[in-house]
Amino acid sequence: MNISELPRRALVALGLPAVLIVLWWFLSANSTSFFWPPLSSIVEAFPRTWTADPILHDVLPSLARLAAGYLTALVAGVAAGTAIGSSRTLRALTEPALEFLRAVPPPVLIPVIALFAGYTGWTAKVIAIALGCVWPILLNTVEGVRSLDEVLRDTARSYRFGRAATLWHVVLRGSSPLIATGARQALSIGVILMVISELFGANRGLGAAIVQFQRGFAIPQMWTGIVLLGLLGVTLSGLFRLVEHRHLAWYRGLRQAERGV
Amino acid sequence: MSRTQSRRIQALALAVTAVLLAGACGTDDNGSTSASGNTKVKIGVIPIVDVAPIYLGLKQGFFTAEGLDVTLETAQGGAAIVPGVVSGQYQFGFSNTTSLLLAESKGLPLKVVSSGVASTGAPGKDFGAVVVKDGSPIKTAADLAGKRVAVNTLKNINTTTINKVVRDAGADPSTIKYVELAFPDIVPAIAKGDVDAGQLVEPFLTIATGQGDRQVVSNYAGTDPDLTVAMYFTSQDYAKKDPEAVAGFTAAMARSMEYATSHPDEARAALNTYTKIDRKVQQELILPRWPAAIDRDSVQLLADLAKQDGLITEQPDLETLLP
Repeated sequence: MNISELPRRALVALGLPAVLIVLWWFLSANSTSFFWPPLSSIVEAFPRTWTADPILHDVLPSLARLAAGYLTALVAGVAAGTAIGSSRTLRALTEPALEFLRAVPPPVLIPVIALFAGYTGWTAKVIAIALGCVWPILLNTVEGVRSLDEVLRDTARSYRFGRAATLWHVVLRGSSPLIATGARQALSIGVILMVISELFGANRGLGAAIVQFQRGFAIPQMWTGIVLLGLLGVTLSGLFRLVEHRHLAWYRGLRQAERGV
Repeated sequence: MSRTQSRRIQALALAVTAVLLAGACGTDDNGSTSASGNTKVKIGVIPIVDVAPIYLGLKQGFFTAEGLDVTLETAQGGAAIVPGVVSGQYQFGFSNTTSLLLAESKGLPLKVVSSGVASTGAPGKDFGAVVVKDGSPIKTAADLAGKRVAVNTLKNINTTTINKVVRDAGADPSTIKYVELAFPDIVPAIAKGDVDAGQLVEPFLTIATGQGDRQVVSNYAGTDPDLTVAMYFTSQDYAKKDPEAVAGFTAAMARSMEYATSHPDEARAALNTYTKIDRKVQQELILPRWPAAIDRDSVQLLADLAKQDGLITEQPDLETLLP
């Protein structure tokens, strides 16, 4: 990508959102429906709704729980996935159990998790987020480790790489494109679970705040919460891309070389 | 994938999206006429003890006698039913009084058409109460100050009435930490010690006391012995459009309440038609009162309490809301 392309790319990226926002603004301008307020009143309510106190007591704790659950899932998923992907026996043993666990939707488990981890604290919510996020990471890691080129492993062996070095430079590096795919899927699941886990036994948090606005018929405020969730999603996905861009530069180069671009 | 293939997939995806979008914009049949010449109405109710009279009244034919062809739909709570009534999905709905006051103060065009359920007025023998684990140091309402109390909805009738009885007992309710949990989850949360106390209504109250929990205070009866806890309502649009159906509903509801009051055993039996409930609990639970008249003073009191707790900023207009 060269510098002259930047403005064009920015236009492409921001074009559709801008069109959608303009459409929303004008289509809802004369809305008299109580539950579909004009966008202007949502925008106007935004700064009044998300002042320092709710940001400190609702948004930040929610994000902290998301971070804790997501990172736990990342570490556990990559570790277990590497182990399972490296061993044929382990794979055969764990496959049925993994498929079973993966098929159980985490929202269903939230009340069950609460029975063990407590109803009101952080623990149950973080576990719920981690449990939902772990599957795409784990399964993609297994796939990534399994599909590693045998030649690479042999090369590492003939160069007398130690175990740790092989694991780090060959196995994790080689499967990192697939791990990244799983991690990206897990991120959106994490945001969903962050909200769902707060619908249960919570009194503060972004998800809980949106529900309380809805129940108190503070509809413009409820929409500001939904918009804020969307903005958080975009921000997180942008951050993810930044990290991925830096760490998978070698992979992009490889792909381009293969395509002969 | 070849270019034509991907074009086809794009076209297919567009078609699917179009179908989904079209399906999302369904139509309402608001109050059309059925084959028998009766007016069709949908009523949004919550599957709890409170709405037993409406099931009895349907069985007794009170609604058909008023020319109404009724379909009952169960929903999670008032917050889900109010939008349904405003948008015309339901013609009538059931909701607790505080939710209706909140909706009124936000300018939602609602009209109450019948009383719904009221406190028995007997402390310790009401259909709603705050309970604690056996052996808890909490003995009176005043002991709830500074404790973790589970309620089924934050900032609603249960928090305002608990705050009121705690304030009346001479303690400061602003130190209570309320936690929101669904009624079925409150019982195990108390048992585990996740919360110090919880507010329950029947049948959960009888289930909890059956497991050894102890009642601390009846928050409805303690607030007002004649507390109108919930009411049936419609939208102002529908009230203008079909006053006959509204008058018919009000009359049928009054007869249903009267019938449920004089036939408590049938009211208990009616629970089987819409909830799964243990036979023993069904026989033991405390039935609420079903007075045909709304107690206006208690509605005003709930409005004052909502304002005091900051749920609303201005007094709702009871003249517009109540019949």
